[in-house]
Amino acid sequence: MGFWPFSRKPSKDVAKQRLQVILKYDRAGLPPNSVEALKNAILNALKDFPFVDVSGVKINFPQNEREEKIELEIPVKADK
Amino acid sequence: MKDKVFCVTSGKGGVGKSTITGNIATALAMQGYKVVAIDADIGLRNLDLVLGLENRIVYDIVHVIEGTCPPEKALVKDKKTKNLFLLPAAQTKDKSAVKPENMIAIVESLREKFDFMFIDSPAGIEDGFKTAVAAADGVLVVTNPEMASIRDADRVTGLCEAMGKPEPKLIVNRLDPVKVKRGDMLDVDDVMQILGLELIGIVPEDKSMVAYINRGQPAVLEKDSLAGKALRNIADRLLGKDVPFMKLDSENGFLSKFKKLFGGS
Repeated sequence: MGFWPFSRKPSKDVAKQRLQVILKYDRAGLPPNSVEALKNAILNALKDFPFVDVSGVKINFPQNEREEKIELEIPVKADK
Repeated sequence: MKDKVFCVTSGKGGVGKSTITGNIATALAMQGYKVVAIDADIGLRNLDLVLGLENRIVYDIVHVIEGTCPPEKALVKDKKTKNLFLLPAAQTKDKSAVKPENMIAIVESLREKFDFMFIDSPAGIEDGFKTAVAAADGVLVVTNPEMASIRDADRVTGLCEAMGKPEPKLIVNRLDPVKVKRGDMLDVDDVMQILGLELIGIVPEDKSMVAYINRGQPAVLEKDSLAGKALRNIADRLLGKDVPFMKLDSENGFLSKFKKLFGGS
């Protein structure tokens, strides 16, 4: 039972999500929002390729490892 | 060779470094090992309080470096636990009074005479921290299950690796099972996953901790203290024993007992 009925997700999940992003930036010494900017630039470039499902492009931070790495997930449209 | 010199560090202040250092050192000395605890927090010494030794200090680490006395002479013998010694920090100097090479020289001169040495690091990531880590074979990173502490623990982990130290072992301090159950505190698995470090201890939040420090009586000396048991377990793991992690569920908490009493879940 939470203080906020029904709606809110546990604050610890928010903390975990935020920390995973913060630590990626900290470890790699990246300036704030630089990954967001990278993602936007990639999205722009991907618009020229019709087989790419742009709405499904994801940037992932692999967890559970201290390696400095960003993963890019580019889904391909199945019906092409 | 098994690691015998450990630096206890955290980045963030106030997460329980000195308490944990004093307690693990005491727990090992209780088992008959010869242990020295070194307070590397020059200017803000506190390890003496945890051990209840503040009135017995004659010389400190800076006296040793200045050549006023040899390291052995500066050691304060613990009054409750045989085999335990404290090398106090200087209270009136600043962190620049001890350099990494000084710490290494002191540790090396004592290494053969002790089974374990624990260096209580100052908070921060500046020279004082680097001096504390410099002489250590292994690093124990202490964190609380909250955001700022975890972020800082990650920073010191990166710095330790940059200094060529082996990957630190993780101690999660002040875990409150009731808050975890409520969804307002990261659990140990979350913290491990975020930091990517091997766990060596989980110390539950213990309201009596402040009283133990008030009395200068480390929790590991108290049979009934849950935190004391968790800290004794860490000492055992440092000895290479395979001790399972304590099951900490909120059912042991006062609140849940209270709820049960009144028929709640």
